[in-house]
Amino acid sequence: MSIITRSPFLFRINTGSCNGCDVELATTAMIPRYDVERLGCRYTGSPKHADILLVTGPITARSKPYLLEVLDELPNPFVVVAVGTCPTSCGIFRDSYSIEGPLERYVKVDVNVPGCPPRPQAIIDGVAKALEIWKEKIRNQK
Amino acid sequence: MLSANIIHFLIFPGGLFALCLGVFMLSLERIVVARLQGRVGPPIYQNFIDVIKLFNKEILVPKNAKEAVFIYSPLIGFAGMLAMLYFIPIPGVYEGTNVNSDLIVLIYVMALPAIAHILGGGASSSPYAAIAVNRELKLMLVYEMVFVIISFSVAIYVGGGDAVFSLKKIMEYQQLHGSFLFDWKFWPAVIAFVVFVLATLELPPFQIAHHNDADVMDGFLIEHSSIPLAIYEMTDAMKIILLSIVFQIFFFPIAITDDLIINLIWFILKTVVFVMFFSFLHAILPSFRIDQGFKFLLIVPTALSLITLILVILSVKGLI
Ligand code: SF4
Repeated sequence: MSIITRSPFLFRINTGSCNGCDVELATTAMIPRYDVERLGCRYTGSPKHADILLVTGPITARSKPYLLEVLDELPNPFVVVAVGTCPTSCGIFRDSYSIEGPLERYVKVDVNVPGCPPRPQAIIDGVAKALEIWKEKIRNQK
Repeated sequence: MLSANIIHFLIFPGGLFALCLGVFMLSLERIVVARLQGRVGPPIYQNFIDVIKLFNKEILVPKNAKEAVFIYSPLIGFAGMLAMLYFIPIPGVYEGTNVNSDLIVLIYVMALPAIAHILGGGASSSPYAAIAVNRELKLMLVYEMVFVIISFSVAIYVGGGDAVFSLKKIMEYQQLHGSFLFDWKFWPAVIAFVVFVLATLELPPFQIAHHNDADVMDGFLIEHSSIPLAIYEMTDAMKIILLSIVFQIFFFPIAITDDLIINLIWFILKTVVFVMFFSFLHAILPSFRIDQGFKFLLIVPTALSLITLILVILSVKGLI
C-alpha cells in the first residue's frame, strides 16, 4: 500500500490571493528549476482527481462558496495545505469587510507554509510534509 | 491454435505488453519534458503508480450524470485499442491477423478513444465537459479526415492504382522497395501524420479540449475519478503504442534480422524515439485557441496529405 502514496495529485485554489503565492506555487514550484514532479506530484484540473489541496489567499466572501464546493468534491482521504500567510491568518487583509477567513474555520488544515509569499523551497517542503500526512491517513483508513 | 490467439490478444503484442510499454512511454514523455525544462522529473515508473493509485480511489458520480454511460464509456476506447493491437501486425515481431482489409478497421477503431471521451464527457453534466466535448468533436472531424487521406495515399501507392487495404501487404511492399520515409512523395504525408498524432494525443498545440487548465480545467475528464479515469489513462497508453506501430507500418517497417528478440528490441527502440520526438514537440510548442487549432488543422495537414495523394496518383499513372 505504500507504493500508491508516491503518486499524489495536486489541486490548487485561489481564494482571493494577491497572486504572489500563486506565482510561487504554480510557476516556480512546479515548472522550471524547482520541481514537485520529482515527488511524483502532478497538477490536476479537477478537485475530483486530487489528493492534496493547496489553498492560497484569505478566503474572500465571493470565493467562499467555491472553496466549500471544492472541499465537498474532494475524494477521501485528502490533505489540505495552506500556502502563504493569508489562509492561516488572513495576513495583510485581516479585518477587511470582505474577508471570511481564515481557512481553519471551514476545514482542518494539515500543513501551513508560512511566508508572504513563501519561497518555492518552502512550498516543496510543505508538499513533502503533506505526503507523509496523506500516507498516515491512508493507513488509518484501512 | 485458440490458445495462441488468446495469448496474442491478452499478453504479448496486445494486452499486457502493450499496456505496460505504453504506460512507461507516458512516464518517459513526462521525464523528457521535465529534462527539457531543466527539472529532474518523475521516476520512470510514475504513471504505473498513478494508475494503481487511481484503482484504489473512491468513485464519485455527479448527481445529474447519466450514470451507466458515465461509468462505462471509458471501456469503449479501451476495448477498441485492445482489439486493434491484436489485429495490427508489428514489423518483424508479430504477423497480425492477416485480414485483407485491416486498414479500414484501423481507420474506424482509431476514432474510438475520442468517442469514449465525448460520451463520457457528455454524460457527466458538467459545463466544462460540454465545452470540451464540443471542441473535441470539431477537431476530430478534421484530424480523422487527415488520417483517412494518408491511409488512402499509402494504400493506392502500394496497390499501384487499386487501393490495397492490407497492412501486411503495405509492410511487405516497403520491405522490398524501400521505406516510404525516404521517398520524397511521402514527406508531406509524414508531416501531416505528425500533426495528426499531436491532435489525437491532445498534445500542444492541440491541448484545447483537455489538460487546458486556463479555460476548461480538465475538459471532458473533469468529473471522472478513480477507475474510469484509470481506464482513460490506460487507453492513452495503448494509443501511443498503436500510433507508433501505425507510423512504422506506413513509413518505416524495416526489420533488421529474422530474430524475434532483436526485432522486438528494435521495435521498442523505434517507439522510444517516436515518443521522445513528440515529447520534444510537447515541450517547445505553445497552445492554440480552438478557432486557430481548427483552422490550422483544416488547412495545413489536410493540404499536405492531399499533396501526397495527388503525387501518388500522378506517379501511379506514370506521370512523375
Ligand atoms: S500570503 Fe502574501 S503573497 Fe500570498 S496571497 Fe497573501 S498577501 Fe499575497
